Amino acid sequence: MTSDLRVRFEDMGRKLAEKPHLKRLGALFSETVLIEIDGNEYYLAFHRGELERVTEGPSRQTPWRFAIRTDGEALGKFWAPVPEPSFHDIFGFVKTGRGRIEGDILVLVKNLRFFKEFMALGRQEEAAA
Amino acid sequence: MSAQPAYEPIIGRYVTIEVQGRSYRVYVEEAGQGQPVICFHTAGADSRQWRHIMNDAELTANHRFIAPDMPWHGKSLPPEGFEEEEYLLTTEVYVETVLKLVEALALENPIYAGCSMGGRIALQLALNNPEPFKGFIAIEASDFQPAWYDIDWFHRPDAHGGEMGAALVSANIAPQGPKAERWNTQWMFMQSGPGVFRGDLNFYTKDDSLVGKLGGIDTSEKPLHIMVGTYDMTCTPEDAKRTADQIPGATLAVMDGIGHFPMSENPATFRPHFVEALAKMG
Repeated sequence: MTSDLRVRFEDMGRKLAEKPHLKRLGALFSETVLIEIDGNEYYLAFHRGELERVTEGPSRQTPWRFAIRTDGEALGKFWAPVPEPSFHDIFGFVKTGRGRIEGDILVLVKNLRFFKEFMALGRQEEAAA
Repeated sequence: MSAQPAYEPIIGRYVTIEVQGRSYRVYVEEAGQGQPVICFHTAGADSRQWRHIMNDAELTANHRFIAPDMPWHGKSLPPEGFEEEEYLLTTEVYVETVLKLVEALALENPIYAGCSMGGRIALQLALNNPEPFKGFIAIEASDFQPAWYDIDWFHRPDAHGGEMGAALVSANIAPQGPKAERWNTQWMFMQSGPGVFRGDLNFYTKDDSLVGKLGGIDTSEKPLHIMVGTYDMTCTPEDAKRTADQIPGATLAVMDGIGHFPMSENPATFRPHFVEALAKMG
């Protein structure tokens, strides 16, 4: 399961590379993001709007700028083609108590459209926008 | 026969009002004839949110929709001296703006319709200033919503507040709406003047003066209808129900597949709910 998610994030990285508008929106985004699902850590290293690598944890040595922590069921609902209310946006994890967003939130907010659209790439293409 | 211009029926004009001793040039759109309905937009946006209702030939056959851009928003200018001022909207300024517009536009017995912060003001007017109005349609409205975000994110010298605001409010837009209308809804936030969304949220997230007072609203002569979308994470269906439950005689409609900007993000789904709301106004 854990490596399945790494493969899925890597696949999202390939989709990201095919989206010129996201490369433009993410041009100033060179950060590592921790996504923790059911306690399993994935470090997503972005460089200028491209996903360079996904590294599985656990790690105490990998610095990250911000983190999204939630559970697999919530992430699965978020990635549904038409997600149900409160699972249609990453902030829904926080609002419903199903997850937390931590770290330098301002960096996330400055790059919010880019990062939300990246996360939505796990959905079917039609619902990604 | 000469060709006719292909204009939409919406027309725009300007009116100057005085609020708390300051002069404001306000842009107002209008369409239709009959029962006046004055329509107010959400925080960080403008009257374009009402474009579909105002272009609806069946509704404009017997309703005259009037949609102002609040001062600082859309095509309405900020007041003289804005360049050195921190914009912080208050309930008092909002309420007086509405009342002065009703007076300046010579509206007789208008229905008030407002969304989000405009919905909050519907409740304030219903409680404290119901006289000029026939009834109230309060969309995505509740007694109080504390912020689940830092409002200072949206006015910074090192980032574009409009783009960040749009990306934040996309959390309140349902995925079922047409893609073009979901993005049109966000565009208004992207265009919002610097600090305006933050200044709107200041009153919306801090003024809790309605808490515990909603029972004082008298709906026996002035109907109050509350509407809420299931995908609204700012004013949730639970928030709207909590609000409606405190107001004797208030009615509530929960709209599936809609978020915080119903009339703008998904006009086809919103329409029958709005028709029902207008019917409830008598």
